[in-house]
Amino acid sequence: MSGSLQPDALDEATRSALRRFVLSLADSKRILGIRYSDWILGAPSIEAGIAASSMCQDEWGHARLLYAMLKDLGADPAAVEHERSAEEYASVDALDAPFPDWAAVTAGMLLVDGALTVVLGSFARGRFEPATTRVPKMLAEEAFHRSLGEAWYRRLALSTAAEAQDRLRRATEGVLPPVLAWVGASDGPAHLLVEAGAVAPPAELLAAYREDVRDCVALLGLDVDAARGSDSWDAERGRGPGRPDVDAIERARGDRNRMLLVE
Amino acid sequence: MREFVYDVFARRERGEPLAHIGYVDALDDATAKIYAWKTYDEQSWFEMCVVRRSHILPVNRTDGPFAEGGKVDP
Repeated sequence: MSGSLQPDALDEATRSALRRFVLSLADSKRILGIRYSDWILGAPSIEAGIAASSMCQDEWGHARLLYAMLKDLGADPAAVEHERSAEEYASVDALDAPFPDWAAVTAGMLLVDGALTVVLGSFARGRFEPATTRVPKMLAEEAFHRSLGEAWYRRLALSTAAEAQDRLRRATEGVLPPVLAWVGASDGPAHLLVEAGAVAPPAELLAAYREDVRDCVALLGLDVDAARGSDSWDAERGRGPGRPDVDAIERARGDRNRMLLVE
Repeated sequence: MREFVYDVFARRERGEPLAHIGYVDALDDATAKIYAWKTYDEQSWFEMCVVRRSHILPVNRTDGPFAEGGKVDP
């Protein structure tokens, strides 16, 4: 399959599948930004907090670009960003609750942020023209998130402190099932995107993701090839069941300052 | 966690001298590079480098931060 895929050339089913896909990426980045922001203060060092601050700015910038992409697909980005309930959010369910400690932030950087990057990378290499032009800059910024996540993951996994390893193992075991289900989504809309050449097939995405994180999680004695995705799936939103906590959604929508909203 | 001091050097444009612009505490070389890039982001640097302070050899001073070497926090 060759040639770029323009938004106005899509049939309605493919357009709808692409809306779900882009919305899930955008919502995931917005919620991930909130989760990182919780650790700007309280990170293990000032430098780690500054890095968290930078990453949450990156994630919100990426989310804004992805929400804007929805306009090409027949959705109103302002309404999507500011008027949806928590139940309508399509963020990967691994981000539904705040990160309880730095080990969870570390797992989030490597395993959740990393999953978004694997999928975005495929989107950038696909045929959907807006993605091929807008996503590469995101990927360049994500390289830092990946490096920081891996460095911290290795440090905690190889720590002589059993509690550091235990916390990281719990966080890893908690996020892998929903993330694997999200990366390897293979329902009808997901297949439409593959047929359109917008992203690689689910098996290919899963293989790339597993390759990406295999060595790190193995440090804890975990086998990402044996790990399986969650069974439950919400096909309408393209994620598992559940929703992010209400506080995060109020922050994402900017509820407390709606009267000051300027668009 | 053990941390080390890394000194940060940068130049704004090709041909400019590499200047000492600050330092970061970091776990290792990988985190030092990220922390430096994210902490000293007030400029669009042409080039930035980090050096673990304990690897800097003072030539003429026996006092000051470089003579003391990089701290190692327990």
